[in-house]
Amino acid sequence: MKLKPYEILDVSFARFDLLLFALKFPRLTNFTIRLLRPLYVEKETWYNQTLRYGLLALNAGLSTVDELKAFKHGIQALREECYEGTMAGRRGESLAWVEWILTAEIFEAFDVPSWPAEAINIFGNIRGVEYPPYLVEVAENAGIPIENCSAQKLLVGCMLTEQMAPPSMIVSASHPCDTGVSVYQSVEYLTNVPMFVFDCPYWKDDDSYQYYVENMWDFIAFLEKNLEKKIDWDKLREALDRVNKFNYYLQEMTEMHRAIPCPGSTSSLILSWVFREGAMRSPHAVEAAKELYQTVKKRFDNGQGVVKKEKIRVIWWDPTMAFFLYLFKWMEDEFGAVVVTDFVGRVSQVPIDTSTPESMVEGMAKTQMHLAMGRQCHGPIEFVTGELAKCVEEYQPDCIIFSRHNGCKHGWSALRIAQDYVKKINMPALFLSIDIMDKRHTSEQEIKRQIGEFFRRNGLA
Amino acid sequence: MMEIFNEVQEIARNTSNVYLEEALKSGRRIIGYFCSYVPEEVIHAAGFVPYRMRAVDSKGTTQADAYFSPLNCTFVRNCFDKALRGDFCFLDGIVILNGCDHNRRIYDNWRYADIKPDFRYMFVAPHVIGDTARKRFRQEMVQFKEALEKEFAVNITDEALNNSIKLFNKKRRLLAQLYEARKAKNVPIKGSEVLSVVLAVTAMPVEDAIRLLEEVLQQIAGRVVSSSTDLRIFVTGGCLEEVEHLELIESSGAIVVADNLCLGARHFDLEVVEGEDPLGALADRYLNHLSCPRIMNDFRRRLAFMYDAMKDYSVDGVIAEKLKFCDLWGGEMFIARNESKGLGFPLLALEREMYGGSSGQTKTRVQAFFEQVRNNRWKPEDMARTAGDNYQGSDTFSVKNRSK
Repeated sequence: MKLKPYEILDVSFARFDLLLFALKFPRLTNFTIRLLRPLYVEKETWYNQTLRYGLLALNAGLSTVDELKAFKHGIQALREECYEGTMAGRRGESLAWVEWILTAEIFEAFDVPSWPAEAINIFGNIRGVEYPPYLVEVAENAGIPIENCSAQKLLVGCMLTEQMAPPSMIVSASHPCDTGVSVYQSVEYLTNVPMFVFDCPYWKDDDSYQYYVENMWDFIAFLEKNLEKKIDWDKLREALDRVNKFNYYLQEMTEMHRAIPCPGSTSSLILSWVFREGAMRSPHAVEAAKELYQTVKKRFDNGQGVVKKEKIRVIWWDPTMAFFLYLFKWMEDEFGAVVVTDFVGRVSQVPIDTSTPESMVEGMAKTQMHLAMGRQCHGPIEFVTGELAKCVEEYQPDCIIFSRHNGCKHGWSALRIAQDYVKKINMPALFLSIDIMDKRHTSEQEIKRQIGEFFRRNGLA
Repeated sequence: MMEIFNEVQEIARNTSNVYLEEALKSGRRIIGYFCSYVPEEVIHAAGFVPYRMRAVDSKGTTQADAYFSPLNCTFVRNCFDKALRGDFCFLDGIVILNGCDHNRRIYDNWRYADIKPDFRYMFVAPHVIGDTARKRFRQEMVQFKEALEKEFAVNITDEALNNSIKLFNKKRRLLAQLYEARKAKNVPIKGSEVLSVVLAVTAMPVEDAIRLLEEVLQQIAGRVVSSSTDLRIFVTGGCLEEVEHLELIESSGAIVVADNLCLGARHFDLEVVEGEDPLGALADRYLNHLSCPRIMNDFRRRLAFMYDAMKDYSVDGVIAEKLKFCDLWGGEMFIARNESKGLGFPLLALEREMYGGSSGQTKTRVQAFFEQVRNNRWKPEDMARTAGDNYQGSDTFSVKNRSK
């Protein structure tokens, strides 16, 4: 296996274009991908491997036409933002790589493109699900430790095979895990460009927030110095207004999922998280969130569930698999099992006050600290167990599935605490051992088998 | 001459020692701490003996494995196992640091398992060096001081802090003298002995540590432990407390002359400036001392330290050490390998489990490396492989973009 420079992005953009054309006719597209289900849903074969990942990511025809229309906006946002960033970098213009745990909206205020570095993981799968394991191997063979999180091994693999436009600066963070701390130093070393590091505090008290706010001011100073221009507060205000809208819609969806039956699919929230990661700066991302919200709201108002007969309510804890985004829809389709909330898709934010520069900076700091995985993983275990306990109380689940990711050492360090917690509340729980990016660790088939057996063993299916 | 080294070895290989026992008998209390970023001076000024947590004399990890997983590092699992078995029952408090993902979960599991002592404190250190971080770190020093005062009903005055700073600076100066002596052609003390010394002086009252160091310095005057054929080695890495590991390296025809280890240079690098604002001075020292890779914006300085040490100590080769599943030192090893390839110095990357055996494999790899260095035939491609059998190095970037 060999990749030409930029091959992953070039192929992904071409497929996005094809998809965007198809989505001009959402009814026909939905009908077609549903009709073709027997050819690709069960497993990957040589004749479906080119398109299977994309068709599954579109929920394999199980979405409504309205949801597909929303996805179209999201895909458009990803296509535009990532293409703009890539082309700027390829032309040798300023381009900022932004770590996935952070937000890129501030670059709107400097009119500089940004690139969500780990988004390449999704693009890698679009190129073909064989490619991420290949890129992991490239990174490991170059000396990146095998025990690092595969999300960031993929990033390095893409760098070394020249799949991403080179950055003129990097923005990274000290959370949520050591792999980020470690790999981003290697990335800075390899690229030799200025890097700003957000130092995430351990606690969530006033002093900690204040420290993060001061980090944000330092970041602005770093940008002004390295970009040789001043921040445009009006442009930032516009960008943050969009962030507020986006967060509002997704937070409302998160809340509506508490209803029985659950009116939405968490796969939409996960996909929205991808849009947020990759394309939050685009107005299309807000459109996608709005339309997804409207479909869930409609079902909520009518007392309808996302599946006709909801049989099992599941809390999915820990990150889910990037190589098999269809998993939640498969659970709905196969078992009537609805993932009512999860670790990554949940949105829990307060609106950013855009009235003054100070309030915007404070709001950005708070919002960034409360992004998924960021808010849970930077401090004591209570940040994780507390949120889980709240979810159990509010979402009335029948079971919890923990998808322990190979790279999450801090997650594995709290295994006993999680196991004792589910015993204490007498909740059936499955602990999967997976790698979110590398299907060789635990395959799609094995994950399906374990989930199926878990439901049957506990009398849920 | 041997007596002092026998005593040091005895202390280094055990959890407790006579100095701690005497301190306890005389009414002093002990607080354990993890990591080089915890200010010993604050603990000392509160009237306690600061004790560096260690996994020596571990009985294994079977009990800790019920809390942690095989994907967690063996330093943490061994330490926690010892805690569960009651090996640290002599402590009156425990201070844990957000050093890495494994270590910070000790704080959670310690509380969850409800292991004595009751005073368990999370001391938070920044992951970057800079003005904002320094300001926050000083605040953390204040909070730590106040927590000790409140918990143990003591008053930590600036005078007490300044006295402690003086004592610990003296200890740092003595350790620096010990390292200075290793620059000589005829080396007076082995690296394994130095590790024992640092293990000892981090497990006893500082006043005793100073006396012990003075005696060690006296004893090594005129002593020669190296031979003219020994390779001079620099060791870099995180948790390395297995004296026998360095003995194994040194018994293969080498002498460890310098390091960047937690229980080595990082313990004594940079003195605290004595003055009016002791907590501010402590924040300065502990933030700016020789860093480990948990500090994200300092790898160039760590590399510069290594290059300076290679020159000052006439180093023939570098051994980069990491424990399995340590992301932080894995990344540092990646950078070191690329530097080795780009600048052309011999480097061996070793990965191990703490107290995990496999000394035979390690010895074979060390011997092969030394043979290549002696024969001037070393190549980065031949280095010990921790990242897959077909380790190739990162050609794309390493030559054109390396940091030096």
